[in-house]
Amino acid sequence: MTIETQTKETTLGNLLKDIPRQIESLRSVRETFLTDAVLLGEVPSPTFGEEKRTRLVIDRFRENGLEDPTLDEFGNASGIIPGTSGESAILVMAHADSVFSSETRHVLEVGSDHITGPGIADNAIGLAAVVALPKLLNHLNIQFKDDLILVANVKSLGRANLEGARGFLDTMRRPVRAGVCVEGATQGRLSYSGLGALRVEITLNIPKDYDWASFGAAGAISHLNRLINQLMEIPLPKEPKSKMTFGGLTAGSSFNTSPKTGRLRFEITSEGDEVIDSMENQLKEICEQFSLETGTEVGMETVAKRQNCEIPFTHPLVKTTRSIMHEAGITPKVDPSTGDLNALSRAGHPGVTLGLTTVENLREENETIHLEPLYTGMAQLITLLQAIDVELCEE
Amino acid sequence: MNEEEKNTWLKKNTFHHGEFWDILKLVEEKEKKGLTISLCIPTLNEEKTIGKEVLILRSELMERYPLVDEFAVIDSGSEDKTLEVAGNYGADTYLASDILPEVGDKRGKGENLWKAIHQLKGDIICYVDADITNIHPRFVYGLVAPLINREEIQYVKAFYDRPLNYSSGLRPSGGGRVTEILTRPLFSLFYPELTNVIQPLSGEYAARREVLEIIPFPIGYGVETSHLLDLYHKFGIEAFGQTDLDRRVHRNQTTNALGKMSFGILQTFINRLHAQGKIDQMPDMETFYRRFEVEDGAYRQIVQKVVEEERPPMIEIEGYRTHRASLSH
Repeated sequence: MTIETQTKETTLGNLLKDIPRQIESLRSVRETFLTDAVLLGEVPSPTFGEEKRTRLVIDRFRENGLEDPTLDEFGNASGIIPGTSGESAILVMAHADSVFSSETRHVLEVGSDHITGPGIADNAIGLAAVVALPKLLNHLNIQFKDDLILVANVKSLGRANLEGARGFLDTMRRPVRAGVCVEGATQGRLSYSGLGALRVEITLNIPKDYDWASFGAAGAISHLNRLINQLMEIPLPKEPKSKMTFGGLTAGSSFNTSPKTGRLRFEITSEGDEVIDSMENQLKEICEQFSLETGTEVGMETVAKRQNCEIPFTHPLVKTTRSIMHEAGITPKVDPSTGDLNALSRAGHPGVTLGLTTVENLREENETIHLEPLYTGMAQLITLLQAIDVELCEE
Repeated sequence: MNEEEKNTWLKKNTFHHGEFWDILKLVEEKEKKGLTISLCIPTLNEEKTIGKEVLILRSELMERYPLVDEFAVIDSGSEDKTLEVAGNYGADTYLASDILPEVGDKRGKGENLWKAIHQLKGDIICYVDADITNIHPRFVYGLVAPLINREEIQYVKAFYDRPLNYSSGLRPSGGGRVTEILTRPLFSLFYPELTNVIQPLSGEYAARREVLEIIPFPIGYGVETSHLLDLYHKFGIEAFGQTDLDRRVHRNQTTNALGKMSFGILQTFINRLHAQGKIDQMPDMETFYRRFEVEDGAYRQIVQKVVEEERPPMIEIEGYRTHRASLSH
């Protein structure tokens, strides 16, 4: 063992020893970040409509002690906690958008041991952790050598295809040591690879001159049903691991009228970029053939396409994260990400995504986070940032 | 007070919470004047909403900005976890029945508000209902700020945005159903000056201890009405302020519940009419109905003459009698 390795292990050991103190200390100031979570979570923030929430983020950044928080051209809110040297920076990102529309009643219920309401786990509590970070570090008496760049990135989910995070990273001109993406769900999550993904929307229309008397004539729902069956018959390879997920189907509004139009949304994820490419071509062909055979108009739009990117399992960042989780009593579960980590990795920065707490009913209106595991989840985040700062996570 | 003076009072003593966004400045002013502020939430089975209220108000107005010196939840004997949740987030919790036990225990929101005067220490007491689902620090700082800044103001009531017609840029503004159907017509008749209070029944208000300790408290629905009538009788309209707190989202009440509330308010109202000699020596009935309109953020009182003219019984009309007589021949 070299002297350098020994020193690193001692430094990590000292950080790990401090985790129990951090957990108790964070518990004692939980109101700081829970209040931010509730205030932020009650502002609707659908993808492409995050302005009100990011304005509040800017206000809270300022109130929490950041001097010059800014909104960039993409709509991302960011601020800097200046480090003692500031030569390098660590990115701490949380997406500010939510899957819930503005029409959803964004009212959160705060119980003794939980908070319930739409979007609290994904990602109001993650965002609150980032927003409250200046106050929490101050309380814990932790000072960084690097600048911490805190980002509430917009346009992350669904059709937005990580537009906000990509825009922020493309225009940032600073040396970055590493990045951490913060999600409410789920504690134990360890994402260090961005998974290749293809998001597709298929629109099926029954044309005006459609021959309703022909054999097999049907409305949009029946046709989409047949199309889904065909898609499900596409053989997906076991290696590289690949998966197809149907995420949305909309058609019709009554009991007894066949709808003329319908829309299907789905995602194919794969650890092989070649699978993603070949699937895209195959889907185009299936849609074209289906259209000709049925006399319907079938349009396919690739909403998002992402390549695989990752740092190895043995990368010091991943290794250190696992050590921290272990010390904090968290069982790590490797979970490739299709979220902001993908943008971070594509921009060439090593990064991981962490989950803060345990969650029920994710992405339902009664989404619930548990408070007791949250303090450990926050300590895990802060300790990892400290480890990055003291250069324990570099190859 | 003529119409112009009334509108002056409206302008001078009507505030918007946005005027007081600089909470730090309020804290400085409060400390300079040596004032202390107590916040009281009266509760009965409010476990769904109390956690958020205590979390946000305590965190923002005690921890972040020390505007509030004391935060108490006074409960009427909840059967759910109201007190446990409130205590968990740092509120001082009390059972109303444990406060001043020698005077006995009556069940009702007014009891909790009244006993708060004894239990809490502040020079200013701010009352906030427990059922607000969109709770925000403005619900407190918007009410205590006029008391901190203006010594002549004794009692500040909340009012809220109830948008009915945005498209024209002009919208009627006022209270809920009981306010518009019962309280405002009664005030228009007997206490026209009090019609300047835009939402007389709102459950959020702040007042100085000196005025709270010299007025009686109905236990039930009449408490807000009695405060207005009693303090108006003692100090006049100048003692009041009112603050626009934007939107308030709360549980909707059934028509039956509103009927019960109206019955309680009427009892309180008629008691005051008796006490102030307005029943025995009925004054000339006012014929102006007063309501509010808001345009571009400015509130304006609209006065309409409503005279309920009456026709005599038809049988007293000669033409009618003649007509009927002709038909019988």
